[in-house]
Amino acid sequence: MATINATISVNSNIMSYPINIHKSMSMKKFQSCNGLEETSGLRTKKFTSATETVVVEQDEFTSTKASKVYMRNTSSDKAHYFYVAKHASAAAADTNAETIGKLYGGDWMLIPYLADVNITVASSSTDPVVLEYMVFAE
Amino acid sequence: MATTTATVSISSSDLQPGSSLNLHASSTLMQAGLTAGLELVDMGKGKLTETTDRDALHEALGTIDSANWVYLCNNATDDTHYIKVGIHETVIGNLGAGDWMWMPWNMGDADAELNIEAEGYTDCTIPYEYAIFKTAYTLAASTAA
Repeated sequence: MATINATISVNSNIMSYPINIHKSMSMKKFQSCNGLEETSGLRTKKFTSATETVVVEQDEFTSTKASKVYMRNTSSDKAHYFYVAKHASAAAADTNAETIGKLYGGDWMLIPYLADVNITVASSSTDPVVLEYMVFAE
Repeated sequence: MATTTATVSISSSDLQPGSSLNLHASSTLMQAGLTAGLELVDMGKGKLTETTDRDALHEALGTIDSANWVYLCNNATDDTHYIKVGIHETVIGNLGAGDWMWMPWNMGDADAELNIEAEGYTDCTIPYEYAIFKTAYTLAASTAA
């Protein structure tokens, strides 16, 4: 059993009073007090086209558990983004996919992952952009 | 312009044999990724009960394909109580007791609502908290005569 800790801090002045969210968690197995034990390892991939690409293969992990996916767009240019989707295509207009959202340059995400279908990304640019990602699994 | 920053740290000393894991990332949230910060936020907390089907935490009534961010935390203390998180008919994943998530949400179309559902023992109640940072949003029309 491994111990994996993750902490988020979100600070904002959108409201007239400050918003400060601070939360920590220890990544655990599905319905268990024991920690996740497996990982894809930290991966980086350079994209030079806008073609949708599978980055997380669902069959590498046990489905319907408590996996988590971390991703970060390492670009320093905010204009370069990735669509992130569940399915074989990451195009926003693909009705067979469910696009989750867009990771702009510097943005990161940490989401639960059912591992029932692949996770795909599509770069907005043909300029080189590097995506960093890691899966935590049971 | 409002400024919203999101930072994460992920660490483990025993996940990868021979090397400790230390990830750190920080970003400033922007509208369409460019120069203006996000200007809207919706925050709250509530309780879900296992007996009900999935509920819409937030409707996709903002600008389609825009920059929005979702923070959601399952505040249950019983490890068997989890929240199933989805966008419309697609389940994203299971958010366990004590877990939080940080997810981009582009509101890909008007049906792409963010939904949550309590799972666990029959009749269990799961407390949760959330914050949704948005680019734009259209309030629902009043139905008053």
